[in-house]
Amino acid sequence: MTGFWVMDYLCLALVLAAALMVVRIRNLAGAAMALSAMGTVLTLLFVVLGAPDDAHSEAVVGAIALPALYLIAIGKVRADVRGPGEQGKRRGPDDMDARR
Amino acid sequence: MTALYAVVAIAETSLIALAMVRLALGPTVSDRIVALNTAAAQATLGLLFFAAFADRSIYLDVGIWLASFSYLGTLIWARLLERGLL
Amino acid sequence: MTTEVIVAILAGVGWVFSLSGVLGIVRMPDVYSRVQYSTKTITMGALPALVALVVGEGPVTQYGGRALVIAALLGVVNPAASHALLRAAYKSGVPQWEGAVRDDARARARKSASR
Repeated sequence: MTGFWVMDYLCLALVLAAALMVVRIRNLAGAAMALSAMGTVLTLLFVVLGAPDDAHSEAVVGAIALPALYLIAIGKVRADVRGPGEQGKRRGPDDMDARR
Repeated sequence: MTALYAVVAIAETSLIALAMVRLALGPTVSDRIVALNTAAAQATLGLLFFAAFADRSIYLDVGIWLASFSYLGTLIWARLLERGLL
Repeated sequence: MTTEVIVAILAGVGWVFSLSGVLGIVRMPDVYSRVQYSTKTITMGALPALVALVVGEGPVTQYGGRALVIAALLGVVNPAASHALLRAAYKSGVPQWEGAVRDDARARARKSASR
């Protein structure tokens, strides 16, 4: 019976750490990745708490679809801004600094 | 036997904490994605052993979802980084 | 009783591999080194644990069958996704570690360009 409680508090601590990471990371794509990690661990927490239906929806939405949508949104915004350039700047490693 | 499954589930889950260190520190987004793939694999293992511990076979489907589709973000980021999304 | 011992040994071996893989991801200096641990060592750590579940529950039960499905998925999807990620990272110019001694892809590209 203690296995449930240890898994419960372990998953709670991991969810807390991942949620803090989402707020603290100063990089949009990195924050989306931390959001995906939080969804994964929250899926585990839902399973431990005995709610497999919520765990299904959390795995599909929180761990997979939502970070994918955020990444697509970030990519579309930056693709509009970057471009081959008004300043004739070559697309190269210099202006990729914010993305990688 | 169930106590053994519980111990294995807790051990595999606690490795996510070490992967999250790299997720927090990683200088590039690619490092964070590598750490995220590791965390997803370890979460899948922990989920499987927890399902065997709790003796509920319906928990296993969540593990299949996590194992098969958690790499979608990786593929989207790779395509975005290589040639753009459009 | 012997089943329990076999399950414990297989899961322990898998856990040690997973621990070394995660430690490698934390300690290695650049992304090209970390991907090695994310693919090979993590897969090698996942497979004995899944085999332990198959041994413990039997291969035709729900647990064993889905463990085999997850093993097949992990063996196919993880290297493919990591390959795509690493190829994109190399093409977009993610820097190598300063102490790296050779870069075969760049050497091959230079040779084919000079030819």
